[in-house]
Amino acid sequence: MDPAISSILFYLFAAMALICACAVVFARNPVTSAMSMALCFAATAALLFGMGAQFLGIIQIIVYAGAILVLFLFVVMMLDIRTEEEDSSFSVFRSLIRMAPGALVAGVLSAMICIAAIKLPGAGDWQNPLCQVCDSMGELCIGQQEAAAAPQGQLPYGGALPRLNPEAAARVLNPAISDSEAAAATSIPDVKLLGQRLFSQYNIAFVILSFALLAGTVGAVALSRKIRKD
Amino acid sequence: MDIPLAHYLILSGLLFSIGLAGVLIRKNIIVVFMCLEMMLSAANISLVAFSRANGVNGVPVYDAQILALFVVAIAAAEVAIGLALIVAMFRARRTVSSEALNTLKED
Repeated sequence: MDPAISSILFYLFAAMALICACAVVFARNPVTSAMSMALCFAATAALLFGMGAQFLGIIQIIVYAGAILVLFLFVVMMLDIRTEEEDSSFSVFRSLIRMAPGALVAGVLSAMICIAAIKLPGAGDWQNPLCQVCDSMGELCIGQQEAAAAPQGQLPYGGALPRLNPEAAARVLNPAISDSEAAAATSIPDVKLLGQRLFSQYNIAFVILSFALLAGTVGAVALSRKIRKD
Repeated sequence: MDIPLAHYLILSGLLFSIGLAGVLIRKNIIVVFMCLEMMLSAANISLVAFSRANGVNGVPVYDAQILALFVVAIAAAEVAIGLALIVAMFRARRTVSSEALNTLKED
């Protein structure tokens, strides 16, 4: 995609995610919060698609916007919660006083994160993807080893993300691929690369994760079961 | 023009802070829980951005994306348990306000 369009889409979806996140926090009705959360997760999924992580974007939609959100809505509607019962003596000033400590902590945290991100070397560098900058520095590209070997503060680390390289990805997936086939690759085989890593290097962690999900299911059933009094 | 890594990190930090503000401000436990989920998904954004930024030769580092996948799976398990706890709390106290959880507080 044209880089200009993709950066416009990035800022559009980022603004949408932030606005919907504020709506989750400040909506008085929990159903409104849940719906805003759906929009926030959809915008986050769009951002993941934009970063080339298609699989994680789809997982974000299916798991967060599908499963988790439906659970939330189900509980909100089952419990039939009234909006917060403070309306009788509601005053703007008192609610502001009540919000002040939380807002202060969150504001300080976000300011710290923003300053740290802006101060990353090369953070204002919009033009040069990392790879090109490194090429000009006389290295092929930044790998983790090269990053560890380079002196601190030298790498343009906060700069533009490197462009995805379908040819190199095809070679990683299948080292025996011929040059013409590699050059014909047009998109990153995201799911294949992720699955290859997941089922080889992280296979044991994956199995342990499935046990955690099983424990979660059993725990949820045990918690929501009616306890007999006899 | 490509988007710098710093902008992804700022977005992720802002989303995380909004979630934190919700956790600290709101009294309704269900909304607090929603904000926790938002914090997890904000962390996922920065994981994926770092996986792109650290990539070798234009191929992302997939370890970070696998970590993000694990975060999503654990978040799903956490929601199941947490909502069961909230339903149990509602049965016991007929409210979901976090101010009702003051049994251990000194009088």
